[in-house]
Amino acid sequence: MVRDDGRASSRRALLTGTGTALAGGALALAGCGSVDTGKKAVKKTSAPVRRQDIEILTHALDLERRTVAAYIACIPLLTHPQRKAFRQFLNEELEHTGELVSLIKAAGGKAPPRADSYPIGHATDGPSALAVLHSLEALQISSYLEWIPRLSPAPVRAAVASILTVDAQHLTMVRVTQGQDPVPGPFVTGSV
Amino acid sequence: MSRGVPTRRELLGAGAAGAAGLLALPAAAVAATSTTGQPPFSETDRLQRLIRLELLLLYCYRHVLGSSILGPRAHRTLAPFEGHEQAHVDALETQLKARGGAVPPGPDSVKTANRYLAHRGVGGRLGQLKGSRDALYLLLTLEQVTIGAYFVALSKLNDSHLITLACQIMANEAQHDAMIGLSLPKSTPGSAVPYGLVQGIQ
Repeated sequence: MVRDDGRASSRRALLTGTGTALAGGALALAGCGSVDTGKKAVKKTSAPVRRQDIEILTHALDLERRTVAAYIACIPLLTHPQRKAFRQFLNEELEHTGELVSLIKAAGGKAPPRADSYPIGHATDGPSALAVLHSLEALQISSYLEWIPRLSPAPVRAAVASILTVDAQHLTMVRVTQGQDPVPGPFVTGSV
Repeated sequence: MSRGVPTRRELLGAGAAGAAGLLALPAAAVAATSTTGQPPFSETDRLQRLIRLELLLLYCYRHVLGSSILGPRAHRTLAPFEGHEQAHVDALETQLKARGGAVPPGPDSVKTANRYLAHRGVGGRLGQLKGSRDALYLLLTLEQVTIGAYFVALSKLNDSHLITLACQIMANEAQHDAMIGLSLPKSTPGSAVPYGLVQGIQ
């Protein structure tokens, strides 16, 4: 789903207002198109492929839910300006859980219920909260990089990659907030 | 945008055949899904397409960073990205050469780069940028076009090594996108990452 805000509006104004941008192309900065395509695609795969996809997507959902739990626990420990941004990141993580549930259903599976609790460490202040979020965003990235090549067919991989991409942006913003190099290398690995 | 091949939407939105069916079809049948009747892209074609885009991005970063158009803060933020783009080109070229493909040339002049930008529907032209904001928006849009190209590539690639590489680079371009966004006036970390799903501009 698209959340519109100042930057989004200005992007859109720039990209559509000049009449030169996007000629003949489709603006797809965000949206549910990839998941819709992925859902259609996964329905047409064989049962063994769907079973493997369901298994992987269920692991991904569990990790996204763990990250959501961490954001909920950590946001109160952040400064007021940080809270505003991180609440938005929380919403985006929630969106990821919704997309994964949709993909699981499309593959013929059933998303498991949320756990009563998730291992999210013991943050006690802003810096430790940021460290927890940093480690979980990095874990999501490294996990998705391992899982995506095992998903099938290709549109499902692309749909999940659109989630990985946002997690990489979250990690960058966490690093900015921590005063670290926001983009430490040319290849995102989730190792830092 | 190149229209020599069907778009993702044309391929995937063509109804019941859908993307899954497309992947399961033999080559001749896949070719038949092309709206132009041309053969589908191979992995070599896809790599060449991505390299052309990366070379354009690299040229634009070099041009902008080599001028004095950016403020010191934005310049400092974007300076490492030129090296990242070069690393992407190198990695993709290694994969292309391993498959026997010829490395495409990048833009050799501002005029050529501007022609490529126009071809891809990117607003703004090198040499005509009026200030930091213009330069940032040009790079932002081109990053999003590049992310879109990787998204489309990921909906077609089947080699697991290439899939991982495409994911790693696409995510890195999205990080660049976020940092360019954060360099815009009145931007915040929240406004720099405004979407829950990112597929770029296609």
